[in-house]
Amino acid sequence: MSNLKVSITVNGERKEAEIEPRMLLVHFIREVAGLTGTHVGCDTTNCGACTVLLDGRAVKSCTVLAAQANGKKVTTIEGLSKGENKLHPVQKAFVDKHGLQCGFCTSGMIMTSFWLLNKKRKLSEEEIREAISGNLCRCTGYESIVDSIQEAERRMDESEEYIEEEIPARRGR
Amino acid sequence: MDLTEKLVSGKGNFVDDINMPGMLHLSFVRSPYARAKILRIKGGITWKDVDLKMASVGEGATKGFEYLEHPVLAKDYVGYVGQPVAAVYADSPYEAEDLAETSVEVDYEPLKAIVDPEMSLTAEPMYPGLKSNLLADKYLGADFEIKDAPVIIEDRFVNHRIATDPIEPRGIVAAYDGNRLTVWVSTQSVHSLKEGFCEIMHLEPESVRVIQTDTGGAFGLKGGIYPEYIVAAYLAMREKRPVKWIETRREHLLASRPGRGVVGKMKLYADRTGKILGIKGDVIVDSGAFAGGSGEFSARFIAMQLTGPYEIKNAYIHAMSVLTNKVPQGPYRGAGRPEAAFFIERMVDRLADELEMDPVEIRLKNATTAPYVSPTGLTVEASKPFLESAVKAMGYHDHVRKGNTGFGWFVLVPATMPGETARILVDGGTVKVWLGGNAHGQRHDLFVRSILSDELGIDPSVVEWQKGDTDQLEDGVGAWGSRSAMMGGSALVEAARKLRKEVENKYGKYSPQKLLEGKWDSYEFFHYDKPYNNLGANLITVHQDDLGVIHVRECISYYDLGKVLNMDNVIGQNAGGCAEGIGQTLYEGLMFDENGQMMTSSIADAGVVTADLVPRYKLLLHKSESSLPSRAKGLGEAPTIGTPVALARAIEVATGLRIRETPINPEYLLSAKKFH
Amino acid sequence: MMPPAFEYMAPTDVDEAIDLLNRYGDDAKILAGGQSLLPLLKSRITSIPYLISLSEVKDISYITDGKNSLKIGAMTLDADLEYSPTVRKNFPILSDALGQLADPLVRNMGTVGGNLSHGDPSNDLPSVMLALDATFKIRGKSGEREVHSRDFYMDTFVTALEHGEILTEISVPYWPAASGGAYVKFRKGTWNFSVAGVAVQLQLDNEIVKKAGIAITSMGPTALKASEAENYLKGKKLTAENVRHAAELVVAASQPSSDSYGSVEYKKEILRRISVQAIKKAQTRAEVK
Repeated sequence: MSNLKVSITVNGERKEAEIEPRMLLVHFIREVAGLTGTHVGCDTTNCGACTVLLDGRAVKSCTVLAAQANGKKVTTIEGLSKGENKLHPVQKAFVDKHGLQCGFCTSGMIMTSFWLLNKKRKLSEEEIREAISGNLCRCTGYESIVDSIQEAERRMDESEEYIEEEIPARRGR
Repeated sequence: MDLTEKLVSGKGNFVDDINMPGMLHLSFVRSPYARAKILRIKGGITWKDVDLKMASVGEGATKGFEYLEHPVLAKDYVGYVGQPVAAVYADSPYEAEDLAETSVEVDYEPLKAIVDPEMSLTAEPMYPGLKSNLLADKYLGADFEIKDAPVIIEDRFVNHRIATDPIEPRGIVAAYDGNRLTVWVSTQSVHSLKEGFCEIMHLEPESVRVIQTDTGGAFGLKGGIYPEYIVAAYLAMREKRPVKWIETRREHLLASRPGRGVVGKMKLYADRTGKILGIKGDVIVDSGAFAGGSGEFSARFIAMQLTGPYEIKNAYIHAMSVLTNKVPQGPYRGAGRPEAAFFIERMVDRLADELEMDPVEIRLKNATTAPYVSPTGLTVEASKPFLESAVKAMGYHDHVRKGNTGFGWFVLVPATMPGETARILVDGGTVKVWLGGNAHGQRHDLFVRSILSDELGIDPSVVEWQKGDTDQLEDGVGAWGSRSAMMGGSALVEAARKLRKEVENKYGKYSPQKLLEGKWDSYEFFHYDKPYNNLGANLITVHQDDLGVIHVRECISYYDLGKVLNMDNVIGQNAGGCAEGIGQTLYEGLMFDENGQMMTSSIADAGVVTADLVPRYKLLLHKSESSLPSRAKGLGEAPTIGTPVALARAIEVATGLRIRETPINPEYLLSAKKFH
Repeated sequence: MMPPAFEYMAPTDVDEAIDLLNRYGDDAKILAGGQSLLPLLKSRITSIPYLISLSEVKDISYITDGKNSLKIGAMTLDADLEYSPTVRKNFPILSDALGQLADPLVRNMGTVGGNLSHGDPSNDLPSVMLALDATFKIRGKSGEREVHSRDFYMDTFVTALEHGEILTEISVPYWPAASGGAYVKFRKGTWNFSVAGVAVQLQLDNEIVKKAGIAITSMGPTALKASEAENYLKGKKLTAENVRHAAELVVAASQPSSDSYGSVEYKKEILRRISVQAIKKAQTRAEVK
């Protein structure tokens, strides 16, 4: 099988590599880009531990080929912090509201929340729960995660000092 | 950055995040049959290379089943689908998976599988030389006869097997420098693993170091040692190259140790005032095909707890652990405690219905008024005062008036014995802490900070909780069985007090400044050889919709936690456990066909709950004292015990159906009278 | 769980993709969003030597208002269709279905064309398209043809797509004023396939049903059209009795089999109930307009 040359912009940095066509995006991120904050949890597109933004949309990177992301923009958990130690309001809210226990689902949970809050505000609790229904957490029972997202929303309303993602405009008319 | 800040930034260090030059990736060839003879194996690493037997270490470990020990790699027989038969390795995980598919040939002669534990009792013995399929067989309590008991109720209950399903699967990296084996592993107990490596591979303790990586949940899964870890260590030692193995979810479902899998056959004797006169029962644990899981231990552990928080004078329980052609059973959060509560609480609710009494009234009638040791050996404090305050605090009667309410309560039996270790190292103004039990999502860092800031008067931010490392702490037990705040916490308190003394001895007076300026190292093994049980209660309200679906509306816990060391910690433990309790009751189960093939093929099929399926949780605290140095009582497993019993009852009230099984079949829920 | 090796090609236009499909014959398959195909490859249930990805074909991702119908490019993301204002306004039945399709993250990668051409009877969009009387535009070596949704689904994973053909556009006719629809799906949890799903589109004229489109999900080898129920409702008022009877006819059209999601009887009972719910919801929406 012939290798494939891909170029994917990860957190603003262009990564070029020759890869096997079958390489999953999550492995490109982890092995090629060396960013291990994106995790593999379930293998079957259920748990969302591998969630990243692909051209502004939250997707499960274990169910995307790196080849499909060729020429596109990927944002991972590592891309949310501004500078070395400056956490994004969503990250900060997860710390302050105890939105994690073991921390394994956390990257995916935060990426989905980040996507969600860039897309829409004034979310009801039901909308939040529905939005994170593709991300599994076995530790928290979700309550503190919902609290964290609500807290993040408040903080994002108040502050302009954070990375924003260009979320694609809804197409069609 | 502290641990939490690292985790929200993607800077955690989980086992799969470790990469080393020259690292090999391991993949396994597993049995496709539940029971078969192996006629021939060609290719891969096989038993000829690793002719070793697993040891039983960690939570629920039992020794002395030489005959039924789990081979690291199968030799001439496989006992469950997913049993490791051969291993292959390559430079990348993709290639390793390719090789597992293509490079090993195995010829099997399939045999008739024994799948159902109750049928196993009467089936031909699984192995030659056995008289029956009983792996453990014990009677608890004493036989009794009650002539003309006014009420006799008999019933049978099932908790199906459940995958532990932490979001991070099992995984290990092993490396060998010619003298010493070092493993990095996602675990609840580095010391149990070290013990396992030494025992199984005949290694000296000095030549093994086990280091815990960030551990992405465990729930009982990661307290013991597994065949895959031994093969990884073997290969690292043979090739002198680092070896990584990361479990796939499919492997997790098939071949890691699941919990529950217990049948309870109960018989309850009572008078017409609601006083329970005695209970008899059979506890049948689906232990799997080999010894070494927690199967043989859990039958008698469940049987011991069957008298619950009640003053039951007569009890006689037959505890049976039964061989089946499934992966050995292991502990899953609660590990025997939820089963016992489910069996006795369902019976008490049946009694209430039989006598048309309020379920709490009947519980009050049978609660203990003084400390009590039941005929099965369960130690209970006076449970009646607790129940009275629970009922009041939870607003039980108001809820009952509103309808669809279930209540359940229980004795939590934390795994106190034999205590736990702790080490405090003060150097350069920071305070590092190791506990003998290794956190896997309980956030020990929170209570460790609380304890040390209380005991030593230091700023919590200078305290750095450390992951497990056998080189940093010479011994330890493990993080399981609701024990960490009690045992680990107490060891830490004692170590801190010792430290305080040392500072005092040196400077005449203790001060945090003096402590932080110096270099100090304090170790403590807090020994504890008794049970230290506590009580808990849960209340749940539900709604059943037009399609028969149950929605949990309210989920209230009322627990006796002694001193709360850290409130965030406690709220998180309760919430997560309640979700798992709801999961067990409504969604979670591993299902097998008659050939022992698993029908559950993903974490979704296995039923791990999503955010839209669970409610908010409320935790109320029963004020009490604990006599332990940490002043804490057990918590971790409490919600997984109390939630299913309260929920099952709420569903009974809402549907008019009798709940005997978890997970509850949605089809059964649609048979409720109101739909017909 | 990683996929077996394959060759990957990403043509930039549909004709090139068709050429590649023809060149590699049975060894080739189209990759749309991959949300069904990649899990199959990862679990190694199947292997495909040549994957022809449409991800770089630019001109088949669109939602446009045509004269008589809404045109949806096959590579339109499920999420884009879900949030499309024109869909929200004119086809709430589609918004219903898309809002319950797998989970929000899968919908950000999965495509409408992929969902429709996979031929999985538990996919949600086929029954919606059947209820709406949609037409599929298919392109192959010898040109373009149109296939009505009712002629598209042949068997499980078998559609009217011949080898070397690609679904390029879905055309959903506008229904007249006083029309409305609903999709009701029953699943144990977000992560499960549905036990049953039902799509109902109604056109009313003074409380009388002028036209009905009804189809079901997860109830047989393919999505199934409940023609008898459609015909029964035509010319009738939506009285409780008529709705109940129509639901019975929907159930009669189903061919469920017993599996881990439930027995045949259970599935039929669920279908009966959600059919009533869907008809009522469609009625409310038709009346509002």
